[in-house]
Amino acid sequence: MNTLAAPAGAVDEIVTTVEVSRGRALWTTIRRKPLGAVSALLIVVIVLTALFANVLAPYDPLDADPTIRLAAPSVAHPFGTDDIGRDVFSRIIHGSRISLWVGLLAVGIGTAVGMVIGLACGYWEGRLDMILQRVMDAVQAIPGLVLALAIVSVLKPSTTNAMIAIAIVIIPGNSRIVRGAVMSAKQNRYVEAAQAIGCRQPRIVLTHILPNVTAPILVIASIWLGNAILIEATLSFLGVGTQPPTPSWGLMLSSTGRAFMEQAPWLAIFPGLAISVAVLAFNLFGDTLRDAWDPKLSRN
Amino acid sequence: MYKYILRRLLLAVPVLLLSSLIVFGLMRVMPGDALIALMGESGNVGEKELAKLRKDLGLDKPYHEQYLIWLWQMVSFNPGHSIFTNEPIPEALKKAIPVTLELAALAMVLGLLIAVPIGVLSATRQDHASDYVGRFVAVFGLSVPDFWFGTLVITFAAIWFQWIPPIGYASFWEDPLTNLQQFLLPAAVLGFRLSAATMRMTRSTVLEVLREDYVRTAWAKGLAGRMVVYKHALKNALIPVVTIVGGQLGVLLAGTVVVETIFALPGMGRLTVEAILYRDYPIVQTNVMLVAATLVTLNLLVDLTYAWLDPRIRYR
Repeated sequence: MNTLAAPAGAVDEIVTTVEVSRGRALWTTIRRKPLGAVSALLIVVIVLTALFANVLAPYDPLDADPTIRLAAPSVAHPFGTDDIGRDVFSRIIHGSRISLWVGLLAVGIGTAVGMVIGLACGYWEGRLDMILQRVMDAVQAIPGLVLALAIVSVLKPSTTNAMIAIAIVIIPGNSRIVRGAVMSAKQNRYVEAAQAIGCRQPRIVLTHILPNVTAPILVIASIWLGNAILIEATLSFLGVGTQPPTPSWGLMLSSTGRAFMEQAPWLAIFPGLAISVAVLAFNLFGDTLRDAWDPKLSRN
Repeated sequence: MYKYILRRLLLAVPVLLLSSLIVFGLMRVMPGDALIALMGESGNVGEKELAKLRKDLGLDKPYHEQYLIWLWQMVSFNPGHSIFTNEPIPEALKKAIPVTLELAALAMVLGLLIAVPIGVLSATRQDHASDYVGRFVAVFGLSVPDFWFGTLVITFAAIWFQWIPPIGYASFWEDPLTNLQQFLLPAAVLGFRLSAATMRMTRSTVLEVLREDYVRTAWAKGLAGRMVVYKHALKNALIPVVTIVGGQLGVLLAGTVVVETIFALPGMGRLTVEAILYRDYPIVQTNVMLVAATLVTLNLLVDLTYAWLDPRIRYR
């Protein structure tokens, strides 16, 4: 019995080293590439803005004051006002809620479903894998934005439906990456050992394989977050995402930004800047996570 | 190689069939059907007319029959009429496809012209100022929404240079000068977006290749720097770049949707967006399917090119 206990302890030790080194790897990468830290800080700022939008915004984002319509940026209205006199700064602060909410939920759903499909395909392979992967191919054959447009057109334009559409777009790519990671994790001796001692399959998948594929899953999710925000903004810009008068960055650009862009360029500049900064922050952070946790992914 | 081509072709057929099922299914998920949604919104169509329209469009048949009819229409290049304008869809496509093709081809060329030199510069001067600038431009390109970039380009071209692209689409064959004036800005906006990923890929593959033995040999035998980089390194580094360019075809096609809308170019993208807004479902399903078929075919061609360039792939 004693001889068996020793290796078990050793395994625990290895597991904890892995846990520690993942945090440390991130820290080392951030120190080596300060852009990672900057992006993390930006994300914190965006999240706090979304959480405390009510406190931070100087005005109600829906409050119109026709006497100050299309006012240029000033101390009272740092980003100016729009065509019916709403404060652009307040609308951008509130818009962060929509972007973040849609991004997080869409990526959450897309990643979770993609993960389940990827785990099943990668672990069991065979006919199930063949069929599911062909379905994923079929979904992926339609460009993401076009698919999202088609889905939203069927479901009726709204924020929730834009979110569902984005989640569906995310699933195939995610499932493929998880599938690949599972297939290589499956080759490990400890999986063979778990099978040999008679572990049930769900347990092998959930406790032996899943923890070893979380890195690529998290990396991909973080990279998709920026993309999801971009797609939501694009859908809203095209008129099939968030509907007026809700403040959404993409919608602000299309409705008033384009119509008054020569008289009041601030209407187009600031919402676009907000989208770019948010997407940039998530892209850079995703890159940092990838460099720290999963250098192999950067090659693909 | 023939075996590989045959296998890939056989795999593409079920994928396209499944895509068509997804598209068809999507269009039928619509609450009620397309017509009720459409007519309900205008609110002035009687029950009788609705039934007649439904019969004309074949919406009263069972789903599997509708699907087979639609599939046959797609295969025989006769996808019916627009509900809204009653124009035959092939006519609308004949006008729209050349616009999108021209935009996409120009964007691709401009994208490569931006991406490859910057990527090479970034790699050969790794961790220097120019590398940081190059990498920042690339990440920036991935983050800036093309609809914003496009809007800014139009606005500032108008404010600073008092220049607006000529209104009313002119075909390249009839009026090449006006046509190029209309296409250059949108293609540049789209090309910039495409160049971001290509730039990153070029940088990382050139970096990798520069560490290979044969590059060291080239340096050791005293070749000039430019010779080593362009003749020895870049040539080999470009193989994976071909794949990333191929992989971007989807981004390119999606990008045309946005850019055509902003720059008012009457291409496939704008046709699709308008059809979606008017719920003109015959056009939507035809266009989405056409885009999927194009993408699958192009990806197949890219893979075949890749297999031809790198024989190891065929034997996987």
